[in-house]
Amino acid sequence: MAVKKKSPTSTGWHTPVSNDPEETVISKTVSKPPMEGVNPKKGKVNDDGTEAVKEYKRIKAPEKWVAKFLALPKGVHLRDIGEASFGIPSPKAKGVIATPETVIGADDRIQITNTSAYPWRVHCSLMITGADNSMWIGTGWFIGPRTLMTAGHCVYIKNSGVPGRDGWVKKIVVMHGRSGNTLPYGSVTSTSFRSVTGWTEKGDPNYDYGAIILPTDLGNTVGWIGFGVYKDSELLAATGNLSGYPGDKPSGTQWYHARLINSVNSLKVFYDIDTMGGQSGSAVYQIINGYRYAVAIHAYGIGGDATVNSGTRITNAVFNNMQAWLV
Amino acid sequence: MPQTGNIISGLVKDPGGRPVPLARVYFTKSPVPLPDIAALTNDNGEFSLSVPVAGTYKIACAAEGFESTVTEVTVKSGKMAKIQIRMKK
Repeated sequence: MAVKKKSPTSTGWHTPVSNDPEETVISKTVSKPPMEGVNPKKGKVNDDGTEAVKEYKRIKAPEKWVAKFLALPKGVHLRDIGEASFGIPSPKAKGVIATPETVIGADDRIQITNTSAYPWRVHCSLMITGADNSMWIGTGWFIGPRTLMTAGHCVYIKNSGVPGRDGWVKKIVVMHGRSGNTLPYGSVTSTSFRSVTGWTEKGDPNYDYGAIILPTDLGNTVGWIGFGVYKDSELLAATGNLSGYPGDKPSGTQWYHARLINSVNSLKVFYDIDTMGGQSGSAVYQIINGYRYAVAIHAYGIGGDATVNSGTRITNAVFNNMQAWLV
Repeated sequence: MPQTGNIISGLVKDPGGRPVPLARVYFTKSPVPLPDIAALTNDNGEFSLSVPVAGTYKIACAAEGFESTVTEVTVKSGKMAKIQIRMKK
């Protein structure tokens, strides 16, 4: 008699939780590699591990170890420590009025307008309604036909201090491939969410990740990004790509940026990729042989001693939960 | 553990003093890393954001048809800080 292989279950602070009264996720084998969907009109990639976006020019930053020894030019007022890591500002950056903190150095994000094409269409603009009817914006991305990954704080609000706000959000309107007022695939509302006890009970930023389950299998049309667990050495050699929906840009527009991964620890990935409020939940992904694989879920901007942005690393425990949440 | 009661409560108005609904409000500077989520103002132009520690924060506000603004606010432990953001065309 054939024995069905059981998916590993994450434990400890990665114990998965759901707001559904009964677990309705059907365990199903889904490939870890990406899927490009129907008529992908697939975008090309560059040899440096970035997306080939027209007019996007990645600012050439010195290698991390060289940057430490570069002297700052006299008379240049540095707004944050992040600029020092890149040495002398480029001509484009000179004279730029101080940029928001989570945009590190010059703002070289670029808008994506062909959001009906793969891979851009797998990224979703989220309009989130909290338990107290407060409203928020975030970003999610497809990993399967009905499953989006996002930040834990996009699906479960924790430690807000505002009466009635904490807990599972009421609903999320998902707009995949949104570009401003254009919704090439319409929108869908979800009321089914997933996260882990490390976030929902402990509110620990190291466990800040979750999922949105859609009532329809839109992922089969738009495709999804692959995801994987990678060694420290592999991540530190990788270029991180991120595309999401920042609040400082025109409403609902998708913006892309890419930089080398800055550093990692066992639970998080750190990067100089420019982000702004609204991009919580974005995929941080690398491109391997032309295929896209997420390595982290973007969650936090810089602040205090932190001079780089950060996301929840896809570890074995996170990976197991992501697979378990696939429907 | 984050301190409780550190809340920034605000109101976004247009140049004529009318509330601006669905304005995007987000942090651009904080004493600690914060979630990269943005709040939307309600129909009355109101929003409330919680912060984990007391300190000085910068809040940006963006809405279609207006110039973005940045407001600095100091939050004292356990207190609510109130701000009013007046957008410009």
